[in-house]
Amino acid sequence: MALYRLSFRLRHTVNHARPLHVSGCGKQQEAVVVESEPEPLSVFRTQENDPACQSEKHIGQYFTLDPAHTRTIFPHGLPNRFQLQMKTFNEACVMVRQPALEVISYLKKTDFSKPPVRYLFYGLKGSGKTMSLCHTVHFCHTQGWLVLHIPDAHLWVKNCKELLPSSFNPSRFDQPLQAAEWLRNFKITSEPFLSKIKTKQRYVWTKREYTEEGSTLAELVDMGISRVKSSSDVVGAVIKELRLQSGQPESNFRLAVAVDGVNALWGRSTIKKEDKSAVDPDELTLVYNLRKLMRNDWTGGAIITTLSQTGSLYTSRTDYLPQELLGERGFDKMDPFVPVSVPNYSEKEFESCYLYYMDRHWLQHPHSQTEEGKKEIIFLCNRNPSLMERFCATH
Amino acid sequence: MAASISGLLKPWTPRVFLVRWSRYNPYYLEPEVRKEEYNRPETDLSPEEIEERELKIHRPIKAAVNSVSSSGYNDPVISKFINMMMKHGNKVLAREIMTDTLESIKRKQVEKYHKAPEGKREEIECNPYAIFHQAMDNCKPIVGMASIQKGGKYYQVPIPLSENRRRFLAMKWMITECRENRHRRTHMYEKLSQELLAASAKEGNVIKKKYELHKMAEANRAYAHFRWW
Repeated sequence: MALYRLSFRLRHTVNHARPLHVSGCGKQQEAVVVESEPEPLSVFRTQENDPACQSEKHIGQYFTLDPAHTRTIFPHGLPNRFQLQMKTFNEACVMVRQPALEVISYLKKTDFSKPPVRYLFYGLKGSGKTMSLCHTVHFCHTQGWLVLHIPDAHLWVKNCKELLPSSFNPSRFDQPLQAAEWLRNFKITSEPFLSKIKTKQRYVWTKREYTEEGSTLAELVDMGISRVKSSSDVVGAVIKELRLQSGQPESNFRLAVAVDGVNALWGRSTIKKEDKSAVDPDELTLVYNLRKLMRNDWTGGAIITTLSQTGSLYTSRTDYLPQELLGERGFDKMDPFVPVSVPNYSEKEFESCYLYYMDRHWLQHPHSQTEEGKKEIIFLCNRNPSLMERFCATH
Repeated sequence: MAASISGLLKPWTPRVFLVRWSRYNPYYLEPEVRKEEYNRPETDLSPEEIEERELKIHRPIKAAVNSVSSSGYNDPVISKFINMMMKHGNKVLAREIMTDTLESIKRKQVEKYHKAPEGKREEIECNPYAIFHQAMDNCKPIVGMASIQKGGKYYQVPIPLSENRRRFLAMKWMITECRENRHRRTHMYEKLSQELLAASAKEGNVIKKKYELHKMAEANRAYAHFRWW
């Protein structure tokens, strides 16, 4: 089994013929299979709601997210269509899929004294990259990690309502609104950690406002939320503190950096300066700081990223491979990374998804409940999860 | 001129076919898109159908029009509605509005279904297609009005309606209602889904409009004999 999986992985990685930097996680072991589990009620659901205990035999089955957790874990991370679905079905169910399981199994065996490994989900449009990322983030949360989740990096390089020159470095630009919004959500996701982590440096925001050394991170974040003007720099400070402190012997947290749409960091932006010339992403404070986090010069965590063509700028609609989307510069910066391909649904996964929709009374057209209709769905959406969801939404 | 004459003669002439501007010569046959027709065995067919089938072997066939499909999901009434909603030939937009409408109806109903207690679930109709057809049926008027000149005066005279005309009126009312009485911040599909849901429960402005027409026909029924045809 392990051999089969390894060859499966290699088939995907061979395309990007670069030496892979896999520190201590190249070896694959079978996840611990939990014995004496209660018999599941239906074939497409699993009772195993803890991502840490999910294994290969749960692939294609749905597990339920606790509604109390979704608000604290994902105040901003879930895709829009999934949020609608959660509201409609009155529950949040996520399918266990191979890519997420693979990254989780790596994370379980990571040696945290080493620099973080960069995982990169890539795949065709609508194949479930963001949901795989969310699944992994859920795992990190249940393990008690501090998750730094950026739901869509593309939003930071376009449609900026307010662009201010930075007070810290005049050649850079601040995006106060985006930064404040992210801080607000970050505060919800990592509430328990914020009061424990102390700053190691004195930050001066303006002449009168400063944050003393040794104050908690919560104060820093609150400061950023209330003083919107300096929020971009606060994001930078938070990132810096976390980067410096994670993996240190005295700190007791693991840092997971989850970035959706990581190709935005090395792409182009559509934000215009005063003289109508485009801003380079280097010049944006948020992007500049986030890029620092992508470097693996810190320890005690992991970097989980997703490529996405949706929402990206100046890219062709058919691009999906890392070298196409990241570009040469981005690829060199990201370079040793573990690419994880997110494929379309397999036959089993499609069947499970179909049964789930039937169970939730989602497929209402009489024709869609027949065998013919099912074949037509497969023909029309080619088992692409997003297309399938959209098609089933109207039938 | 030709159009007005054919309009006048409509009740007693067969449909007028465009011969001069047709891109097919009369030799061409109409296409058949339904799959089942081709799967029927020879024994089930009537002699005329067998003859037609043999004609098809050696006569050319017109290309099927874009909007018909052999898919099981194809619905002629919805297709008609989309075409009536279309402006400037922008069918992509019209179809998108329709799919969004169906989705939003279904989302509302399925959410209601999952929130309802066990016993009441069966009463909730979740199928957006059924709701759409129900709403259209409820909106169809039974009698119509026509303006007829009699003794130098125009009278509103109640007339019977053909099935086609009834369907047209129901769809037209629904679309105009949603276009004109829509708040400028709501999307067309939201308004349309609200109206369809209301109409399927015999409420809403379209149904009110239908009742107004009926009331008027009832009031003017003394003029009914002005209709001479």
